[in-house]
Amino acid sequence: MEKIIELIHVSKQFQQHRAVNDISFTVKRGEAIAILGANGAGKTTTILLMLGLLQPTNGTVRLFQSDPKVKEVREKIGSMLQETSVMDSLKVKEIIPLVQSYYPHPLSSDQLLSITGLSKQEWNKRTEKLSGGQKRRLHFAIALAGNPELIFLDEPTVGMDINARKAFWKTVEELKSQGKTIIFTTHYLQEADEAAERIIMISDGKIVGDGTPEQLKAKWTKKTISFKETADYSLDMYKSIPFVEEVAREKGRISLVTVDSDKTIYHIFEMKLKIQDIEIQQGKLEEAFSKLLQEKKEEI
Amino acid sequence: MKMFSRQCQAELIRMFRNRYYIFWSLLMPIIFYYIFTKVVSTPDVDADLWKAHYLMSMTTFSVMGSSIMTLGIKMVQERSEGWTLYLKITPLPTSVYFAAKIAAQTVIHLFSIFVIFLAGYIINGVSLSPLQWLLCALWILFGSLPFLAIGTLVGSMKKVETAAGISNLIYMALAVVGGMWMPVEVFPKFMQAISDWLPSNSFAGGAWEIIRGNSPSLQGILLIIGYLFLFMVLSIYIRKRQNA
Repeated sequence: MEKIIELIHVSKQFQQHRAVNDISFTVKRGEAIAILGANGAGKTTTILLMLGLLQPTNGTVRLFQSDPKVKEVREKIGSMLQETSVMDSLKVKEIIPLVQSYYPHPLSSDQLLSITGLSKQEWNKRTEKLSGGQKRRLHFAIALAGNPELIFLDEPTVGMDINARKAFWKTVEELKSQGKTIIFTTHYLQEADEAAERIIMISDGKIVGDGTPEQLKAKWTKKTISFKETADYSLDMYKSIPFVEEVAREKGRISLVTVDSDKTIYHIFEMKLKIQDIEIQQGKLEEAFSKLLQEKKEEI
Repeated sequence: MKMFSRQCQAELIRMFRNRYYIFWSLLMPIIFYYIFTKVVSTPDVDADLWKAHYLMSMTTFSVMGSSIMTLGIKMVQERSEGWTLYLKITPLPTSVYFAAKIAAQTVIHLFSIFVIFLAGYIINGVSLSPLQWLLCALWILFGSLPFLAIGTLVGSMKKVETAAGISNLIYMALAVVGGMWMPVEVFPKFMQAISDWLPSNSFAGGAWEIIRGNSPSLQGILLIIGYLFLFMVLSIYIRKRQNA
């Protein structure tokens, strides 16, 4: 498959702060990717590096096997950046033809106006009179004005209400089915899980996970084995079982958190422990993710 | 080409919707003109000359204002709103963006010149030869260049409030000391000496010469060109440093 985005050992240093630290990944045509991470993890910096709006301190960024800053690439991408508003003093129906004129093969005005989800009366409103959510929807339409092959969305749903969010993700689904490559950042795990086929998790400027939501779940979620004891063992004894990370005794049940439930179980049987009523529970990605965020906070 | 014409069109719409432009660049100069040629007693000798002289003062005052303020403040506003950043990832070349801004600004200046000249004709029946009207308009377009460069300097500021405050201050100081509000002759000697070297004085001075049947002084022309280069170089330097 054709490589649309390629980052090779990319780092970005801001004075004392290393915002992005040796990131490498490639994106193929038609992929829908979420960049997931806490605030300040380096998501936006990564997007700005891909767009050529920031120069990497080290490493190389390629879009469509070319420099992100060339006009031919610019014609094939559309982006919705954080905290970008739209040009003031223009009406919705005036700004759309303006942006269309930048691209060789723009979408039609009707298509774009319907993407904004704004009513006909609102097309006559000046952009500064729109609500925050309406501005975001208009910006989404502007991002799609050039009928781009590759779409960047940086925290796209911030400021949208539930209905706007729904309509937004529905449009993203349609874009996916048209074979567009989509890359978006979010700190909502649910959004990443639902809208992306691949999640790149970033923490502290580094990639800490890259795979399908299922693969990440397997990597980031530890399993819990719980059972009743029919003989008394010390908690320290349980801790000595290979792969066990945490041990707890609660309401007569012992629970072991393990990074490899298969091997731990094997050892438990090997040791011929007197236990019964065994259950194995899959951890939740949400928990793993919030743990990841917590770890980050503690570092600060 | 379509890109450029659309961009010009958008810039023009925005400027005509700008209330500051309507107030500062059209209403204020016309009100001032009315007050200082109708209400306040005018000199008996050469009353007609004074009326034409002050018309040029007010027209240059207006165009200088929209050059410094409208251009600069809009640039700061667009950057703080993130629109400038957005444009960088579109295929729109920066050169087209700037060219459209300057073209729209020129159209606006022509419009201001026309409206204020017309006001002078209506209020005081100012009469100049067609060639003089034309030369005055051309001189004012040419003379606005260093002020447009000041506008791009203002445009490199971070906050809209600072940009508005500072540009207002520069604008008023240049207008008063340059002799646009009242003749330089009423100032103390040292102020007159400063005024001689200000771009605002050379700017208005050129038009004052034209209505008297002379051509703009060589010093005035050189000062306009000199200031244009000075402010352009400064503006490019600051932009380079900010992008680094």
